[in-house]
Amino acid sequence: MSLLHYIIRRLLLMIVVLFGVTLLVFSIMMIIPPGQRVGIYVQHEKITPSQMEALIIKYGLRDPAPIQYLRWMANVLRGDFGHSVTASAPVSEGFKMYFPVTLELVLLATPLIIIVGIKLGMLGAIHKDRSIDHATRVFAIVGYSLPTFWLGLLLLMIFYGYFGIFPPGTISPDSKDVVFSAEFINFTGLLTLDAILNWRWDIFWDALYHLILPTINLILLNSALLMRLMRSSMLEALGQDFILTALAKGASKRIVYYKHARRNALIPAVTVAGVLFALLMGGMVITETIFARQGIGLWMARAALMLDVPAIMFNVLFLGTVFVTVNLIVDIIYAYIDPRIRLG
Amino acid sequence: MEKLIETEDLYTNFFTFEGVVRALNGVSVVVNQGETYGLVGESGCGKSVTVRSMMRIVQEPGKIVGGKILLFLSSEDRQKGIDIIKRSEAFMESIRGDDISMIFQEASTSLNPVLSIRDQVGESFLLHRRGELLEETLKQLADELKSNGFPLAMAWKGFQRWLFRRELESLRRYEKHVKEIDRELYELEEKTDPRSTRRKSSLNARRDRLSEHDFLVSAVKKSPFLERYYKKIHKIVENKIIELLKSLGVPNPANVLKSYPHELSGGMQQRIVIAIALACNPTLLIADEPTSNLDVTIQAQIIELIKMLKENIITSVLFITHDLGLVAEVCERVTVMYAGDTCETTSVKELFKNPLHPYTKGLLSSVPRIEQVEKLHTIPGTVPNLINPPAGCRFHPRCPSAMKICAERKPPMVEYKEGHTVSCHLYPGEEV
Ligand SMILES: Nc1ncnc2c1ncn2[C@@H]1O[C@H](COP(=O)(O)OP(=O)(O)OP(=O)(O)O)[C@@H](O)[C@H]1O
Ligand code: SF4
Ligand SMILES: [Mg+2]
Repeated sequence: MSLLHYIIRRLLLMIVVLFGVTLLVFSIMMIIPPGQRVGIYVQHEKITPSQMEALIIKYGLRDPAPIQYLRWMANVLRGDFGHSVTASAPVSEGFKMYFPVTLELVLLATPLIIIVGIKLGMLGAIHKDRSIDHATRVFAIVGYSLPTFWLGLLLLMIFYGYFGIFPPGTISPDSKDVVFSAEFINFTGLLTLDAILNWRWDIFWDALYHLILPTINLILLNSALLMRLMRSSMLEALGQDFILTALAKGASKRIVYYKHARRNALIPAVTVAGVLFALLMGGMVITETIFARQGIGLWMARAALMLDVPAIMFNVLFLGTVFVTVNLIVDIIYAYIDPRIRLG
Repeated sequence: MEKLIETEDLYTNFFTFEGVVRALNGVSVVVNQGETYGLVGESGCGKSVTVRSMMRIVQEPGKIVGGKILLFLSSEDRQKGIDIIKRSEAFMESIRGDDISMIFQEASTSLNPVLSIRDQVGESFLLHRRGELLEETLKQLADELKSNGFPLAMAWKGFQRWLFRRELESLRRYEKHVKEIDRELYELEEKTDPRSTRRKSSLNARRDRLSEHDFLVSAVKKSPFLERYYKKIHKIVENKIIELLKSLGVPNPANVLKSYPHELSGGMQQRIVIAIALACNPTLLIADEPTSNLDVTIQAQIIELIKMLKENIITSVLFITHDLGLVAEVCERVTVMYAGDTCETTSVKELFKNPLHPYTKGLLSSVPRIEQVEKLHTIPGTVPNLINPPAGCRFHPRCPSAMKICAERKPPMVEYKEGHTVSCHLYPGEEV
């Protein structure tokens, strides 16, 4: 019960935080001239200066800021975020188009990153200063130091360029025709999931096939941090007194590692895993560019370059929501792992 | 008196980044059956390392590099004992917590903060008493299956019985193998010819590899929902824990069971640590300064508890402390340690009446007394750095009676008189 209370309280708090984010976003937006802000309300490509002036007056873009804010908020609450030039569609439509592509990759990659990071970190700690530890260290250094674009291009070059497998993109041309045909129903926008729901396993495998290389790329780049953290927190846990108690009662090394030490070591890793998830949601610009995946990161990068204000504002709000939600989830997992933390 | 555990010339080093810490410099102690034995010395003299070596739980980067640890457990091996340094890790796991247990200096850090008291105390039972637990559960199930019930519930019970039986069988099979290996190892104990040595190491390796893994049982234990069949065992374990906690004077054990270490007071935490150690009625309880971090009243309670346990349950106690007052109160025989050396061993009475070693004398005169008039004596100097310990007698830089030979040769342990051994050049004699 107290957990439910806690979650409700946090959700209410989340609304306050997001309200702050809207204020911040809006203030930043007020810096740019009114002509650029017309896009929040209408599609404003190819209009004459006089038409523009009419629009500015119509939407009151020179009104006092608070009034403009209220007007904008009213739209936002109705789900109207304006028109995105880069998506050539309303922002909400653009989001529906780009978001599933990102989400699909994140949902596949994050669990794998977490598993690989934690597993290798544990192995490194258990076999400290032996060859397995050194091997995981090399893995970490590679992941830390290689630039994303370099590793991504290298993977593409080796697998696609050289062996001709794992092409970029989200799906092969043949499957694309099926996906855009009438009989393929878009339930979620996640290609793999929709393929299963449409009972088209060929499409499922095809979509998964296209996910492999970007996933590997993300694992190589992102598990390093988690791994090093897990290794050091595991080593710290193994040096604690309660490990001696466990050994003294006759627990085997295995039990000591996987029951007594791991749970303690996981506590700091949870935060990092959460942050990683949130960052991937919006920050895969380079990965999405290299592997030609039309996702949120790519959209945002383009929106930033073309001053597509509505899209930028929306995405800032969106990422704010993601971060706050992930934080809440991390706190709940914390309380689950560590009884010393009292929620509420 | 019959010996229970003995270390012979034990050397333990810590291979640290700064250099090799020579923590134990040939420690020889004997704990007899039925006695309370004390180990005293200043902080850092190697008391904890000695007892951790005895259980072979010295943590990285520590390593036992020489000597013997002889264990005389069952009546049959009283004559020659088992050198546990040479035994497999699996053998040690079966000894720890079952025959020898340990309680620690700091109760608050000795308990795992993220596991409930039930998990931590129950683990002792599950590690060493699983056979009996399974038998008890099976008996219960047999009764329940006799009565009539809802068919589905009966089928579920039948399934449980099948799994418990299977687990018990595989456990018994494992125990039989282990017994065979241990018996053969015991017969080979004193043989040192190459063939026996080879055989011994192969047996030890086999002992480590052996597991009582039953694929089906462990698969069910890990699968969601189905794993609930084990609840019956946990219920029995719970009752055992409650009983145990009650006997240790824990009020309201059913609630304590569900709590986590941070929710308990220091005294209660130490009782839980004791409960973990006592779960399987050990022959030897090693208490490593169990009270030094508790306030005085709680300290007195815990000491009383240990005394009571010694009288009623445990055969022998090895009690570590730096408090000579406690030694006088609790122990029968005592060894004084200094910087990894054993200085002298004797009965408590003799130690206070007739201390021989200059370090012991120093220690005794630094204890405040009621009738004290003159200034409290202190031993000049500090405990040496054990990376470069003084050669010869490690006490010689601080010893008021030091001689030339003291810096050159380590004094042998000699029997000054019956039941009183000392290691100091002031008392020449035959090494014992
Ligand atoms: N993990 C370690 N790494 C390096 N040296 C260690 C380690 N543990 C113990 N030592 C060394 O072993 C020596 C003996 O330590 P030990 O813990 O046995 O002392 P103690 O007699 O139990 O003291 P205390 O009364 O403080 O518990 C210390 O001087 C220390 O230098
Ligand atoms: S051996 Fe020498 S230095 Fe050591 S205690 Fe005896 S007299 Fe002192
Ligand atoms: Mg100690």
